Amino acid sequence: MASHYDIAVDQGLVREAAWRHRRMAIRMLVMAGFAIVLWLSATRIHLSLTNIILGVPNMADFFGRMVPPDFSNLMSLVAPTVETVQIAAWGTVIAVIASAPLALLAAQNTAPHPSIYFVTRLFLNLLRSINELIYALLLVSAVGLGPFPGVLAIALHATGMLAKFVAEEIEHVNRGPVEALQAAGAGRIQIILFGIMPQVLPAVVGYILYRFDVSIRSATVLGLVGAGGLGFTLITSMKMFKYHETATCILVIILLIWAADAISSHMQKKLL
Amino acid sequence: MNMNVSTTNPVISGASAEKSPIVSLVNVSKTYIRGKLVALTDVSFDIGHGEFVVILGPSGAGKSTMLRCINRLAEPTSGQIFLRGNEITSTPRSLRKARQEIGMVFQQFNLVTRLSVIMNVLSGRLSYRSTWRSLFYSFTREDRAIALECLEMVALGHKAFQRADTLSGGEQQRVAIARALAQRPKLILADEPVASLDPKIARQVLDYLKDVSQRLGISVVCNLHQIDFAREYAERIIGLSQGRLIFDGPPSALTDDILNQIYGSRMESAVG
Amino acid sequence: MRRLISPAAAQPRLSLGGRAKFLFYMAGGATFLAWSANALELSGGELFHSLPVIGRYIVRMIPPDWTALDGLWGPTLDTICIALWGTVIASAIGFPLGILAAKNLNGSRVLRSSALAILNVLRSISELIWAIFFVSAVGLGPFPGALALGVNFGGILGRLYAEAIENVDPKPLEALRATGASRVQTILFAVLPQVLPQIVSYNLYWFEVGVRSATVLGMIGAGGIGFELVTTIRLYDFRQTSAILLVILGLVTLIDQASALLRGSIVK
Repeated sequence: MASHYDIAVDQGLVREAAWRHRRMAIRMLVMAGFAIVLWLSATRIHLSLTNIILGVPNMADFFGRMVPPDFSNLMSLVAPTVETVQIAAWGTVIAVIASAPLALLAAQNTAPHPSIYFVTRLFLNLLRSINELIYALLLVSAVGLGPFPGVLAIALHATGMLAKFVAEEIEHVNRGPVEALQAAGAGRIQIILFGIMPQVLPAVVGYILYRFDVSIRSATVLGLVGAGGLGFTLITSMKMFKYHETATCILVIILLIWAADAISSHMQKKLL
Repeated sequence: MNMNVSTTNPVISGASAEKSPIVSLVNVSKTYIRGKLVALTDVSFDIGHGEFVVILGPSGAGKSTMLRCINRLAEPTSGQIFLRGNEITSTPRSLRKARQEIGMVFQQFNLVTRLSVIMNVLSGRLSYRSTWRSLFYSFTREDRAIALECLEMVALGHKAFQRADTLSGGEQQRVAIARALAQRPKLILADEPVASLDPKIARQVLDYLKDVSQRLGISVVCNLHQIDFAREYAERIIGLSQGRLIFDGPPSALTDDILNQIYGSRMESAVG
Repeated sequence: MRRLISPAAAQPRLSLGGRAKFLFYMAGGATFLAWSANALELSGGELFHSLPVIGRYIVRMIPPDWTALDGLWGPTLDTICIALWGTVIASAIGFPLGILAAKNLNGSRVLRSSALAILNVLRSISELIWAIFFVSAVGLGPFPGALALGVNFGGILGRLYAEAIENVDPKPLEALRATGASRVQTILFAVLPQVLPQIVSYNLYWFEVGVRSATVLGMIGAGGIGFELVTTIRLYDFRQTSAILLVILGLVTLIDQASALLRGSIVK
């Protein structure tokens, strides 16, 4: 060790200690704050490890009633599965159709007037914040049981999500091509079609595929409130205490979602 | 077991035999894809204590592969490598010990850009610390003193607490050198350390490298493809062409004829 | 011969074979949709006829009856707590599994596939079904809700973490291995610093999603606003329903903004 640096190193050690302690202090403060919030909410919702352990026999019982899964009626699950996919498909399609104009209205650079932008954004937030299941519940109450309310429920929520996403993509578009088209004298709609749409299309299509994937997941549970699909089969089997069939249903749901995921990410990769 | 093997080379023998060598390569070969791609063929040489050796050759000559074989980032297909008389094998313990004594500097610096400069240098001390201690990102006072000293050696002590990505290219490479020095290595491997830097900065970095080597008696094996740098800094040059060692001697012995052998038609790429 | 290319036309054009494929997919998709519409008894007509019914429902929800807010504070807080702990549990589950599932950290194929399989099972089973399961285990209330969210999101986060880890810059990892650092040390010093901002970002986003999911868990007794909401629907008290929906809107918007702010302040 060259004595040449000793003084600098000593000074450095002091500075380093100060720097490290300052950083630690900030981190400790943040973590302490977070820990307090966590602890308070834990007491509020009665989080308890002991209760989980005590609940293990119940879980085992649950499993016991479901295993082994009853595969005898596997074929009868094909129809609900297809129905689930159909619900998700149409829900997504309607959402895409409805989102196109809404997204344009919700983007600052394409909204005709700031007030329209604000109102649309608020409306989309409303659509997004309500869970599909709540929509389904209300719609079943209004139009009756079956897949139709399910389709609408998915469409409503997906429209909110999709339109907001597209609106944000539109806002982040590269201004260059748009200005070039303006300079060339293109009309408003032409600018949107030729300047904005081609830019946002890849990301938007990717998001649509993602939303379709998510919609399938949601569609599987809509049946719990009577809106068709595998969820309905599941809750029915539970209400009739036929837990072995419930297990089969769950397995089919896992398979369906896994397949949808695989196809969705495969197609998204192909797009990139 | 002390196995001291020394081999003579085809062209000229280097003058490094006063003490036992730091590193010995004996008939090291490396092939890829089951022999179809030959990277190195029968490379043998010794590096003495405190030597500054430059490996010269065009890209694809096998310089990088050879360097990586020394600290086992790449596995030689055949041949042996000895560090201070002990063979480097692939067992985890032997590997860790060997790597502790060998510092490495990479073409693209390979720093963790989000971490501070001093954290990057401290990570060179990790092989001396237990995993448990590292879980808390904790180092000893000695570690910190060493890290600061190494930073002073490359004149970056004043930037110790900045994020690594706020530094320029040349400065980042100096931090990388400091990280290697923090290991208290016997040998530093430098794989094209200045290829990403412009000539003036490159010279600065090579100056630091040479300075550190001479003052601390650390052997340096430095891959370069620039002939003038090699001439300027090397005490000994090893010429590699298409995986074969075809020159080993002082810069003065590097004739144009030999350069042609090394570079063939790729001389242009070697200037500056 | 020069063609004036519009700036928007600078996108890659599909080859003839590619175009044929595209049209084929489109045709297939359209056929599927037409068949589905038939099977689901969807039609423009059906939609048309249901619009007035839905319209009447909406009318019944206006104006919102704000008395519904009495005693809503508790369940609202519960909903947030469920989402909070759900995300925490999800992170705790997802983190180790994500590390095991990452290709660049784990050499063992068996371990990776198993970790990925577990994650897939966790995320495929809807949080509602998990909630039913946990309610049977630990009873009603927000606790099973948090567990359900935690387990389901754990699968989701785990996969996201694994992807983030796989996309890390490998060069610092190599440098650290070369210094003799152990595998764990390499993860701590080269991988974690790189993925941390993304992990925090994911956690914040899914906390947001969690709040929305938590609003419905009450439907099956797993705590939160859901229970109150469903009660108003069952009692046909639609004006109270809309009031609660607006509260949910306010809550979600607030958390959205806070989350976006926090995520923005994490410099990449």
